[in-house]
Amino acid sequence: MIRPLLVRREKPLPGGQPLAFVLGSSVALFLGAALLWVAGDDPTEVYQRMLSASFGDLEALSATINRAIPLALAGLAVAIAATMGLWNIGAEGQILFGATAAAWVAQIGNAWSGPLLIVAMLVGATFGGALWALGPAIAKAQIGVNEIITTLMLNEIAVRFVRYLINGPWKDPEGFGFVQAPALPDQSELPGLFERAHIGALVAVAVLAVVGLMVSRSSWGYELRIAGSSGATATYAGISLKRKTLAVLVLSGAVAGLAGGIELTGNATRLTETVSNGYGFAGIIVAALALMRPSGVALVAVLFGAVQVGGQSIKAIGVSDAVSTVLQALILFGVIAAGVLVAYRLELAKAKVHSL
Amino acid sequence: MGGKMKNTTVRCMLTRLFVPLLALTLLAVACANDSSTEPVTTTTNQPTTTAADSTDNGTDMDADEMGSDANSSADANDGEDFSAAFIYISPIGEAGWTWAHDQGRLHAQRVTGVRTEFVENIDDGSPADTEAAIRTLVADGHDVIIGTSFGYMDTMEEMAQEFPDVVFEHVSGFKSNDTNFGNTFGKIYQPRYLTGMIAGATTQTNKIGYVAAFPIPEVARGINAFTLGALRVNPDVEVHVNWTSTWFDPALEGDAADALLEAGADVIAMHQDTTAAGLAAEAAGARWVSYNSDMSEFAPDAYLASAIWNWGPRYAEIISSAADGTYTPVPYWGDYSDGIVDIGSIADDVDADIVDQVNEVRQQMIDGTFNVFEGPLFGQDDTQLLADGEVMDFGTLLGEAFFVKGVIGDIG
Amino acid sequence: MDADPLVDPLADPLAVELIGIHKRFPGVVANAGTELKVKRGSIHAVLGENGAGKSTLMNVLAGVYRPEAGEVRVLGARRVFASPSAALAAGVGMVHQEFRLVPTFTVAENVVLGAATRVLHMGTVEKQVADLAQRFSLDVDPQRQVWQLSMGERQRVEILKALWRAAEILILDEPTAVLTPQEADELGSIIRQMANDGRSVIFISHKLHEVKQYCDEATVLRGGKTVASSLKVEDLTSPQLAELMVGDATHTIRRPEPTQACATLLMVENLHALNNRKLPALRDVSLSVHEGEIVGIAGVAGNGQRELADVIAGLRNALSGSVRLFDRDITNASARQRFRAGLSYIPEDRVGVGLAVQLSITDNAILRSYRQHRRGPLIATDRAKAFCAEIVSAFKVRAGSLDQRIAELSGGNLQRLLVGRELTAEPSVIVASQPTRGLDVQGVTAIQELLIDARNRGLGVLLISEDLDELLAISDRILVMHGGRIAAQYVGVDANRSAIGLAMAGEPA
Repeated sequence: MIRPLLVRREKPLPGGQPLAFVLGSSVALFLGAALLWVAGDDPTEVYQRMLSASFGDLEALSATINRAIPLALAGLAVAIAATMGLWNIGAEGQILFGATAAAWVAQIGNAWSGPLLIVAMLVGATFGGALWALGPAIAKAQIGVNEIITTLMLNEIAVRFVRYLINGPWKDPEGFGFVQAPALPDQSELPGLFERAHIGALVAVAVLAVVGLMVSRSSWGYELRIAGSSGATATYAGISLKRKTLAVLVLSGAVAGLAGGIELTGNATRLTETVSNGYGFAGIIVAALALMRPSGVALVAVLFGAVQVGGQSIKAIGVSDAVSTVLQALILFGVIAAGVLVAYRLELAKAKVHSL
Repeated sequence: MGGKMKNTTVRCMLTRLFVPLLALTLLAVACANDSSTEPVTTTTNQPTTTAADSTDNGTDMDADEMGSDANSSADANDGEDFSAAFIYISPIGEAGWTWAHDQGRLHAQRVTGVRTEFVENIDDGSPADTEAAIRTLVADGHDVIIGTSFGYMDTMEEMAQEFPDVVFEHVSGFKSNDTNFGNTFGKIYQPRYLTGMIAGATTQTNKIGYVAAFPIPEVARGINAFTLGALRVNPDVEVHVNWTSTWFDPALEGDAADALLEAGADVIAMHQDTTAAGLAAEAAGARWVSYNSDMSEFAPDAYLASAIWNWGPRYAEIISSAADGTYTPVPYWGDYSDGIVDIGSIADDVDADIVDQVNEVRQQMIDGTFNVFEGPLFGQDDTQLLADGEVMDFGTLLGEAFFVKGVIGDIG
Repeated sequence: MDADPLVDPLADPLAVELIGIHKRFPGVVANAGTELKVKRGSIHAVLGENGAGKSTLMNVLAGVYRPEAGEVRVLGARRVFASPSAALAAGVGMVHQEFRLVPTFTVAENVVLGAATRVLHMGTVEKQVADLAQRFSLDVDPQRQVWQLSMGERQRVEILKALWRAAEILILDEPTAVLTPQEADELGSIIRQMANDGRSVIFISHKLHEVKQYCDEATVLRGGKTVASSLKVEDLTSPQLAELMVGDATHTIRRPEPTQACATLLMVENLHALNNRKLPALRDVSLSVHEGEIVGIAGVAGNGQRELADVIAGLRNALSGSVRLFDRDITNASARQRFRAGLSYIPEDRVGVGLAVQLSITDNAILRSYRQHRRGPLIATDRAKAFCAEIVSAFKVRAGSLDQRIAELSGGNLQRLLVGRELTAEPSVIVASQPTRGLDVQGVTAIQELLIDARNRGLGVLLISEDLDELLAISDRILVMHGGRIAAQYVGVDANRSAIGLAMAGEPA
């Protein structure tokens, strides 16, 4: 019997990450090609299409960036909490509630100038996300309620809450009875950078940099890592686990909430219950693929965004939704699997299996 | 010590990860080998895209002519064939909302000869996805873009502004502009009235269950029309509404139907996109009125009748007018006389007398001599909404946010 | 089963033969041509310091690691194990230091876990387990859930697991580390019965008296190589064994000169506290530690020593009573305030409490002082590293790089890092809980010398240890804890081994 074994390399391969990227992509693209061929699509055409739709020109790049913003922030939110060993499964709801808070600010500041309104909306979104994480944070810090369950359940509650708003108090008076929130004021749209990219990208990069630095280099982040590694060690060093838990979950929620604000001001025309669009859940994958490191989140988010944009684009040339979805998963998986192979060596060993 | 242990665990985990990857590779290779001995079949109904392919097909011969006409008269800045693209909210499947639209697309393609394509499963809750899909289709040179879900409306409006040379038609909304953005919908409440007559005549318990998606005017109108139809043949009937808050969730729709059946309903009607309510009725030995398309094959015993969409003619009209440059956006709300709505097949065991009555009313609808919402009309709370002979005005009809007498349920 | 058919397994007197085993890890050569021969029906000690390659060699034998080179022969047949289960199928069972048991499963369920390939009748299994337990005096109830069991009982479950799977060869990796002395003696008689039954036991340890007491033969490893193979234990003295292990004669601890007790540094009065299970753990404990004094706390594990250390260090609340440092009442002070006031703490769980295992050497070195290495809100990496480098060189922590995760350090180096960090803060009192447990001879000596050094510089040391020899060697006074109380007190030179032993057992003279 041949058994594949992964053996840790004494030194990671020279070239490391870039090599992983090439290697993983090649394997994944090869598998994807086989899949496409079986499904009756032309792999070359499909791949060209995916590439040009995600990186082909400035417009494509802007689409990828727009997609990467909420993914990166949601990934960051998950990664921050994970640094302390906490699982924020509620980024989805925090994004939505952040967007809701931003929409509320927009109603109040309907007549404000653009810059003021946008800043107020983004701040509102940040507070909204933080607020949505506050309940689980308090419950976890004070009486140890499992944050996975509370944050997860609040996702659903956020959706119901927005549904209530849209059906009731916030129902668009100009919607001919259709159920929708009122349109956002025109001046609330984020200023553009190039093509479809907007300054939300800069905000996201700044937040990633600041929060990333906080987690990896500040004394606050150091305490976080100690607490994440061992709660008893943190207590021993005089670090309050309660305060840390509270702070980290609220910060995590705030980052996710900001993603909701950027999504609302950057891409949406009005608040919908689907504005978070699964970014909060995808953020868990992004964070996991980035090995829970804030520094890796941006890169994975761009890759993730590009694959999503590319995957959507190939539907227009007749690739079925199912094939597109499998292809997206293959590419992501392939690149990550190759990352493993940079650190580990594959041995195909002939092993005897003994039995008595 | 701890470190070594850790490495072992990691290694085990990675081995476990690796095995599926390997299996996947083998599977892919295996599948690939199989397909070389058999003709490759595509999973979707792709239209032919080259002239060479279409020579063996009579209808598509027209397409070439139409296409050339379009090139000469209408805008065709990409220099390729005139073409139209559809954006669907869900996969096409075998029945339901998107399936009905795809039937319409195929019909329009057949009739006009214009090449059509589609993208499926575009989330209408995601403006980013919607916009990306539209931009891709525009970049591909499509001249008409038809979006078939309410949530596409705002994005299509923006895109119409950005791409004035492309015709955008939005289905089931209310926005339009003066040049290249129109909306299309139909008075499905008319056939719902007819199905209500059949359901009202069929029920033994005088309780009809109605599985409904969201409390919006479109759904309320359907429930009211259905109830009025049922009351026409059975004054004792009650229509009980159960909201699901989803268009497409088989499990939830089935549960909602089950709840109604347990409460004593013996006929289930629905405003949903799946067949789940029908399957629930079939399992309970009850009857079922379907929507979107004729779904008789999915629950043959339960099936009574259906209110169905027939989008083909309208789509053909949009595409051909866009092709010859005569397209003007209108808020289109087609009715029976336009053929966009109809009643599907009626079960064999429905009383012949009722079928006759249904056909009579149907003919009146086609002739435009019958109004569903005509007085005397009473609301749920017995207030008179319309005086004898009074016809509901357009605005009230469009924004219908009340239930008529006979409906049991809360519109929220 | 693909044993060489030409070899009659019964003809070979060797249960295990390891020939020229090589095994590397990143940056470490754990085994470099290691050899081992274990006779059937014997108890064979594998001795060596931490890092000598004992555990790695045993993991090779048990199928956890695959050697880069070398041959594994079990019961006369050459084997290449792909997994621990393959090794177990060939008759090699291992009891690891960390138990691998499911706390909410019963003993019997844990025993069959992973082996239940067909439908099993739990009643039958319980009967089998009970029979095995009785045959080898492994006193444990098959129906109890594992979380209810003591460490010694859990170890018996691990042994039962191996026996139930018909292990002919049982590897015990430092089995006494988690046991009380009584439990250790019970284990000794259990493995003797197993050897008498024809099974072979490999006993990994670095405690010389255990080897003398329980084992027939010993193989000594040093630096991944076998330096002495299959020695008859009865022919050897402990110093001889120790010399083989460390390569030179062991240091005997110089008994410190009694110092004139001066000012009282730490004063504990009438302390009461609960344990984790909310049961009384400390009952009216009073003690004091003076300048230049090592106060030893003796006692059988679980008599309140852990709670006492935690309460003094601020990791556990006192129900009543007081803790004073100099004249300052620190009963309600936080752990950080106590540290700042001059109280250092070497906790019993050095990894998991004193050190964070997933983090680097530098991160662990600055645990007490990270706030002083800040530049703005950020930690200045250069200053943190410089600080760490000082500890590493002053306390001879052997490490590849300061960014290395401490998980890769051996136990002795971990403890040097921890003790170094605590002493670098220049405290006035240091509470050291089991500071030498599990360390090799050199490590024990080094830590003990550091503590004596601190005492000679005028620090007060509260040394909590289960190693009576250690307490007798370096304490100025010894207090004995029993049942959460201070049961007896002895001044170092007067301390009498048997009297302390009686006090530990709750029968003070």
